[in-house]
Amino acid sequence: MKARFRAALTIGNVSVFLLGLILIVPTLYVPPVWNDWIFRISMLLLLSVSWNLMASTGLISLGHAGFWGVGTYAALLCGNKYGLPLIVVLIPATLCGALLGVLLAVATGRLRGVYFAICTLAMAEGLRVSALMLPKITGGAAGIFLRPELRPSLNVLCFIATCVATLSVAIAQYLTHTPFYYACRAIRNHETAAQMLGIDPRRYRMVVLALSGAMTSAGGGIGAWYGGYLDPMVAFSFMITVQSQIAPILGGMYSVAGAVLGSGVIIALQEATRIWFGDQEGVSQLVFGCILVFGILFMPQGVYGLILRAWKNIDENRQMRGSPKAAPAQNMNAGERK
Amino acid sequence: MAYLEQCLIDGVLLGGIYVLLAFGLTLSFGVTRVVNFAHGEFIMVGAYAAFWALALLKLDPLVSLPLAMLAATVVGMLLFRLVESRILNAPDENQILLTFGLALILQNVALILWSGDERSTNPPYAFSSLMYGELVVPGARLIGCLVALILVGLVFLWLRYAELGRATRALAENREAAVLMGINVPQMYALAFGLSVALAMAAGAILSFVSAVTPFMGFEILGKIFAIVILGGLGSVLGSVIGALLLGLTETFVAYYIPEGNGWTEAVAFAVLFLVLIVRPSGIAGREITT
Repeated sequence: MKARFRAALTIGNVSVFLLGLILIVPTLYVPPVWNDWIFRISMLLLLSVSWNLMASTGLISLGHAGFWGVGTYAALLCGNKYGLPLIVVLIPATLCGALLGVLLAVATGRLRGVYFAICTLAMAEGLRVSALMLPKITGGAAGIFLRPELRPSLNVLCFIATCVATLSVAIAQYLTHTPFYYACRAIRNHETAAQMLGIDPRRYRMVVLALSGAMTSAGGGIGAWYGGYLDPMVAFSFMITVQSQIAPILGGMYSVAGAVLGSGVIIALQEATRIWFGDQEGVSQLVFGCILVFGILFMPQGVYGLILRAWKNIDENRQMRGSPKAAPAQNMNAGERK
Repeated sequence: MAYLEQCLIDGVLLGGIYVLLAFGLTLSFGVTRVVNFAHGEFIMVGAYAAFWALALLKLDPLVSLPLAMLAATVVGMLLFRLVESRILNAPDENQILLTFGLALILQNVALILWSGDERSTNPPYAFSSLMYGELVVPGARLIGCLVALILVGLVFLWLRYAELGRATRALAENREAAVLMGINVPQMYALAFGLSVALAMAAGAILSFVSAVTPFMGFEILGKIFAIVILGGLGSVLGSVIGALLLGLTETFVAYYIPEGNGWTEAVAFAVLFLVLIVRPSGIAGREITT
């Protein structure tokens, strides 16, 4: 028992635990401005972790707004109709997202790369137009409001948001130790080769999409209750799609740590641009576009990659100083690796 | 009944303009094998170029069109050298995200510089129309369609007979063999990309008097372009022409025959896209997908 506990004490697991503490505990005490930041970080965490999950399987999503929007509508409509609190409503919202993910996986079957990306884009936009054109269900362009008596206090909302975000990070972190994760990585690197090893890409893809969709939809549900108002432009906002990919790319794609780091940096950047440029339309998206282009061109490993590399250099230096005789051999090794 | 004929006329005119929208993307993808998610945004920039040429220099969109295309070719080649050439052999993911980022930059620069207001150029022919009995042929669309088809025809002839055009086709068909024949690959890549940007400029100029110009138009257009090229088969020139006409006709039929159809037309492209990708991802005229 003790040994198992020891084994679970890896750097990754401990950091997830600490992250949860840092996020969740303050929501009970701090003033509203802080809560606003914490809430936004939580939402971004949900988005980026779920996007990263798909990217790790080689599936680039340009349609996270679709999952998000479905979650928002499921949560708000259920809540308004039956007068349920947010905690209960999150269940149908999450289920709807998972269902949409499964449907997408079934529909896109063998598509990859650009074809898959275009498909997700089409899904999100198609859903948005449908929401706009079916006013009997969604309220159409006029939008719908959350019943005011259902709205919990800001602290409660943030508490729920941080809990869900931490849970999703924990799930993603847990998965990195499982065969499931290695199978996904194999699919990303070479689908045919993975298939020859007995991995059924369709099944893995279905699970990944369901999980990713569920996370995003849960975020959407919480987001809808935070905003209290929905119309198709808000629910299926293009910004969601952009936000979900920006954090993992800046932080470092294909790693949970990268997504988390990226989320923090992005929120800081957003605040900075808001202070420097005010609320002028387009500035933050422009910054995101620049991050995408320059990140891919000059820093494909992201911030996390840079940290890892710096860490390794320090390590090597220390080893060299510790045993001067072995230094030349070490140097040669380092040279070969490059 | 004239209703059906009118619908056909409108559909074909719309499809003709769509041919030009999709042609640039097909060209750059066929040669460089990078799907350019910023193509819609290039079209948006073209529309604004036409708008400002008319507003500031009093140049008719059709007069400023060749100048804009020339400038766009140069800018496109530069852009390729500076940015796109670095990701030619990168994984799919990086190509998608980089061009998507480029689109975001263009869209928001336009939004910051020129605000989100709807604009349009109003040359004299924008509101004219020809009447044949009960049938109406809107002048702006007719001229737009004709210019689009002329441009596409010219590029088609260039691809067919000109030395550089043939080199472009050779490159699209078989890169290794083209290299062995002494074709300067980086230069041809840059030229094909520059040409595709120029075609986007022209498409934008036409759209500036056919529909409204906003910074957000690029993304909507991108959806239509994808529907067209996927329907026709990614990289196939003939396929994209067929796809464009089909999409134009389908959208018009939906607008005419389905209640509240005008609102649903926006969804047609995405529905088509989704269906084709599921049923036959290689499209009508495309080669089998090799991933």
